[in-house]
Amino acid sequence: MKEVRAALWGVSAFAVGYLLPGPLRLPTLAYDPVARAAQVTADVGGVAIRYYGDLLWGSAAGLLAAALAWASGRAERPVTVLTCATLALVALDLAFYLSRLLASV
Amino acid sequence: MARRAPASPYAASAGARVTVIFEPAARALLLLHAVLGFTAVFTTTHHAVSSFLAARGRAVQRQLRRFGWMAPASLLAQALSGLALYPVYRVRVRFADLERSAPAVVQLFDLKEHLSALSLALVVGASLAGRALPSQAPPAEARSVAALSACGAALVWCAALIGLYVTARHPVGAP
Repeated sequence: MKEVRAALWGVSAFAVGYLLPGPLRLPTLAYDPVARAAQVTADVGGVAIRYYGDLLWGSAAGLLAAALAWASGRAERPVTVLTCATLALVALDLAFYLSRLLASV
Repeated sequence: MARRAPASPYAASAGARVTVIFEPAARALLLLHAVLGFTAVFTTTHHAVSSFLAARGRAVQRQLRRFGWMAPASLLAQALSGLALYPVYRVRVRFADLERSAPAVVQLFDLKEHLSALSLALVVGASLAGRALPSQAPPAEARSVAALSACGAALVWCAALIGLYVTARHPVGAP
């Protein structure tokens, strides 16, 4: 079933695309609510919000991966392996964000 | 006479100096966000239960199709209302209050935002895949949908509980 494979590739790519822009300091869309201005920058500081940009990175990566998996239609790996890889990537994201929470306490 | 600390430029009373987008509608948006949040919790939970039953061989295609659009629709609507509300939270709650009074709560709220983002991807993926499951779905595919849906629903529950906790401390729209 290519729908399930496309969903798994999409969620995996979202998990990677959402996590990496922060630690790798990739340019991302940031919105400054005080200046009421948006800009693409790698240096987000102060009151500026980078959440929108990270969501865009993740969504773009997820949609692209899902579309590619849908279009290719190949079933090279068992679905169980893909599922475990997807959940491992999501767990990696959770571990990263939990570590930041615990480091601040 | 005790001297009062200078007001933060981000405090709600300093609205004349700083105008944040959607601030006049912050309370209405917060209520909408909460209602959509409860809807998302219930629909994603129902989808997770339906996909779990499908993985056990039960014929639940109707439920999977029904909750396969309700769950992502409610979660997307909730996310959009949350994104609209976020600048007001950032300026009036986080920078005006929580960064000084409760920095751990700031990190907790950041975690909630990340949980919401990941749950959105999981629920949308599980819903689209679940809608395509045939009545005699291969067990591996059905289990895969159940795993995505259950993880998505669990993250939605966590995000909702953290959101309620932070709102109880300092709701958006309050001084």
